Amino acid sequence: MPLPLYYFLSIAAVNILMSWALYLPYRVTNLHFIVVANMAISGYTAAYLVMTLHVPFGVALLAGFLLGGLIGYVVSLFIGDAPTFAVVIVGFTFIYITRTVIENLPIIGGTLGLFGLPSIGGSPAAHRWIIIAILYALVLLVGFLIHRFDHSRLGRAASAVFVDKDLAASLGVDIKKLGMVLQTFSCTIAGGCGVLYGFIFKSFHLDFFGFALVGIFMTVIFVGGYATQWGTVLLAPILYGVPLLFPSWLQTWRIVIYGALLILVLVLKPEGFVTRRRVHSIETFLSGKRKIRNIQ
Amino acid sequence: MQVFIAQVINGLSVGSIYVLLVTGFNLLLLAAMIIHFSYPQVVVFSMYIAWLVLKFTGANILLGVAAAIGSSILLNLLSAPLFQKVMQKRGEVDINATMVMSMGMGMIITDILSHTFNKGLPIAYPASLAGSRPLARFGLISIGTGQVWSLAVGIVAVSAFFLLLYKTRPGRAFRAIAEDPNGARLVGIPILSTGLQSYALSGLLGGIIAVLLAMLLGSASPGLGEQVAHKVLAVSIIAGLGNLAGGLVVGLLLGILEAIVQGYVSGSWSNAIAFVIMLVVILVKPKGLFGTKV
Amino acid sequence: MRKILGVILFVLFAAGLGFAQPQVEVKEWTVPFLNCLTGPIAAIGEYLEWGAERAAFEINAAGGIKGKPVKVVGVDTAMDPQKGSVEMAKLVENTLVALGPVPEPVIMAAMPIAVESGMMSFTATTSYEYAVKYFPWTVSWFPPTELRLGVLVAAWAKQFSDIKTVIQFVEPYGPWPGMADAHVKGLTGMGVKVLDKVEVPSDAVTFGPLAVKALDAKPDGIVFVCNAEKIAKIIKELKNRGWSKMDHMLVFSSGDAPELYTTGGADVNGVQVYNYINPFVDNPRWNAFKAAFEKDHNGMAPFSLSPNYYDALYMIKEAIEKTGVTGDPKKLKEERKKIADYCANVKGFKGIQFNWDMKDGVPTNKPTYIFTIENGAKKLTMEVR
Repeated sequence: MPLPLYYFLSIAAVNILMSWALYLPYRVTNLHFIVVANMAISGYTAAYLVMTLHVPFGVALLAGFLLGGLIGYVVSLFIGDAPTFAVVIVGFTFIYITRTVIENLPIIGGTLGLFGLPSIGGSPAAHRWIIIAILYALVLLVGFLIHRFDHSRLGRAASAVFVDKDLAASLGVDIKKLGMVLQTFSCTIAGGCGVLYGFIFKSFHLDFFGFALVGIFMTVIFVGGYATQWGTVLLAPILYGVPLLFPSWLQTWRIVIYGALLILVLVLKPEGFVTRRRVHSIETFLSGKRKIRNIQ
Repeated sequence: MQVFIAQVINGLSVGSIYVLLVTGFNLLLLAAMIIHFSYPQVVVFSMYIAWLVLKFTGANILLGVAAAIGSSILLNLLSAPLFQKVMQKRGEVDINATMVMSMGMGMIITDILSHTFNKGLPIAYPASLAGSRPLARFGLISIGTGQVWSLAVGIVAVSAFFLLLYKTRPGRAFRAIAEDPNGARLVGIPILSTGLQSYALSGLLGGIIAVLLAMLLGSASPGLGEQVAHKVLAVSIIAGLGNLAGGLVVGLLLGILEAIVQGYVSGSWSNAIAFVIMLVVILVKPKGLFGTKV
Repeated sequence: MRKILGVILFVLFAAGLGFAQPQVEVKEWTVPFLNCLTGPIAAIGEYLEWGAERAAFEINAAGGIKGKPVKVVGVDTAMDPQKGSVEMAKLVENTLVALGPVPEPVIMAAMPIAVESGMMSFTATTSYEYAVKYFPWTVSWFPPTELRLGVLVAAWAKQFSDIKTVIQFVEPYGPWPGMADAHVKGLTGMGVKVLDKVEVPSDAVTFGPLAVKALDAKPDGIVFVCNAEKIAKIIKELKNRGWSKMDHMLVFSSGDAPELYTTGGADVNGVQVYNYINPFVDNPRWNAFKAAFEKDHNGMAPFSLSPNYYDALYMIKEAIEKTGVTGDPKKLKEERKKIADYCANVKGFKGIQFNWDMKDGVPTNKPTYIFTIENGAKKLTMEVR
């Protein structure tokens, strides 16, 4: 596989997964920025396990998922049904704490970073194929789970909470439990992504997990569409890939273009490009076509 | 003891930055019902405009101040229709839409500043504005002109806007439009002009803050707004959204807390400790220490 | 009809063969430079790029490399590891040698790709601790921190017999804490007590608390290991609280940036700073470089890291000429190795300011200097070898 394609596909997959990690809690209006901290915590932990304790990558990856989920679960005990602001502050707090802890821990590289993660599968080519395979298997699995969630009673409950928390509660929705489930799942995804992100680059640096990532994932969700999962799938690769094709003078203004796009979409299409109605009409169209074929 | 007093004064200095920015943030919240996460970036933009004018007018302070205020008002007025469009169909403060939109604005401002002014390098203000020597000094205790002005103006601004918003007709009109535009229209409040006035007022405050920050810090960089934005949001939430007096108290306390942690514990842990304390407070009192006003 | 088809197929085949045949002769040496042309350090990126392009200009004016011109192509990474990795991945397909990346987070994301592909990329502005991880596919422009900086800081402290205790302001970024540790070794080696460091948060906007903390410890000397703008502001705070022995303050090399002077103004007069480049060297190449830089940057003195990529491009030129590299894409792998092997152990390389040797990718016998700041400019105080 050509190297540029590998990096594009792998990073696009991480961006999709992380945007979904932000999308899920946002279904109940929580901007759960802690997922960025989860990436760092699980990523560094897995790197330490692999490099220092010689734990197999698969086990380290699993540990990354579990650690992310555990942190998400513990934190959700307190903020499962917290106001949006509290969740935002929790996220910022964790990002600051994580950065400070990592800076001060020489065993995981401190401010220098962690170098030279080994190739999985024994060779660089095998490493790339394994990473891509895992990432896209995750994209399919998580995408499937989110799709099932969105079309389930829980998903409808989440939509109700998004529209009106009090009404949802009066209809019997357990907001705290729902919030806990979504936050835990989102942090689990983030934990695994953090491990894979570092293994894409075969190194870890503090600045891989900063507030810039928050900006990227938020742009993906809000421009792609926060009401369905499909906007993320569409926009994450586009937002990452299209600027790579810009001429250099336009690349200079990449961030300004992102910001302007974000504002324009919020003003003109607040639900994002891929709205629930659009998805529904596509689904209806597809199922309609299937019916005609069956009749024929 | 001298060290402790010096740190408290340092803390008041840092805290006054938070108070000023939180006051502007709360003003927009109360008068326009928007969460302007990137209000600090707007202020920094005004600082840059002031610097540019000072540079080309031979450090003419009056023109520099006018430029800061003018640019802040202009930027606010230009962003007003965007925020209002987003706010059209909401029943209450929509943190997500306005916060995200203002984050987009912040990204644009920061990037423009890092591309254009002074090749993205930090800017320094002339000594005639920033001051070169402290007003008073006792051992390790140093009190600068900028510190005195920032704290004084911060307290005055909070008091003045509190009185304006809660004790005057124009203030009640601002709040009425923010809370219920249809109701405000029904009782004869001119929506467009009053709405624009509220944004302009916030811009005026932003310009004044820009000048005060220039005096206090003596320099600015493209990332300055981002550096303080998280804390400004946190202070506002801890105090209680829209709570002007609460913002004053919490802003100053946070400044003192940071100074104490940096002075006695560790500089690199100061942010983490400050946020942990804020986190505990918000978990215990989600509506803020002093209650929300929106 | 069949005949026409046959002709078309033949033409297509011939054309395909033509496209499939790689050109053996290179017409121009293209050297991509992975740099921060946008983002927070875009200004620094421009200074570095200027240095490389200045070298290209001189090389081409003198006939190029083996008679062919060299072109430096700026590739923007915007200080984004994600972007940096994709750009490097694009380069390694058919690039002979590259410059950069800049800065450390992008190095960490992108250099493993260069290493894996066996392509040399000159990270000429990062510390030894980063460069050594990617040897032989980069070389270090600086000697090991531990070996060099201790000696340097000790030389500074030796000037002043009243310096018995020193405190450091240290910002947690990249190799800086390691550099601060190297300072400690040098100072303690000469009997100076190094007090607990003052950590400077990366997002600090005021520095009064840190200044008070430092002064409360009653140091005789102060060393700064943080961002240039922060250093200037801390110095102002220290002065506002009575610090007057300006030459008892030492700024480390990475703090020797334009912001130190523009933000510090007259408040940094008398402060000493160490660096690897001496603006007062007198030789035709440096004089021409300096004049051109000042002309293109409104009279500003050359940024201390600008000559690094200037020298890097000259090193590439020398490597190509001395090892018989042809630029033939069919020989890409072996020619990349030739360049790397040559540069790892180059002897008597003629840098713009001094000659030096590389031993296994580490420079030996490079001088360092201590300067004193006076009215926005540096004055040479001493050379330290």
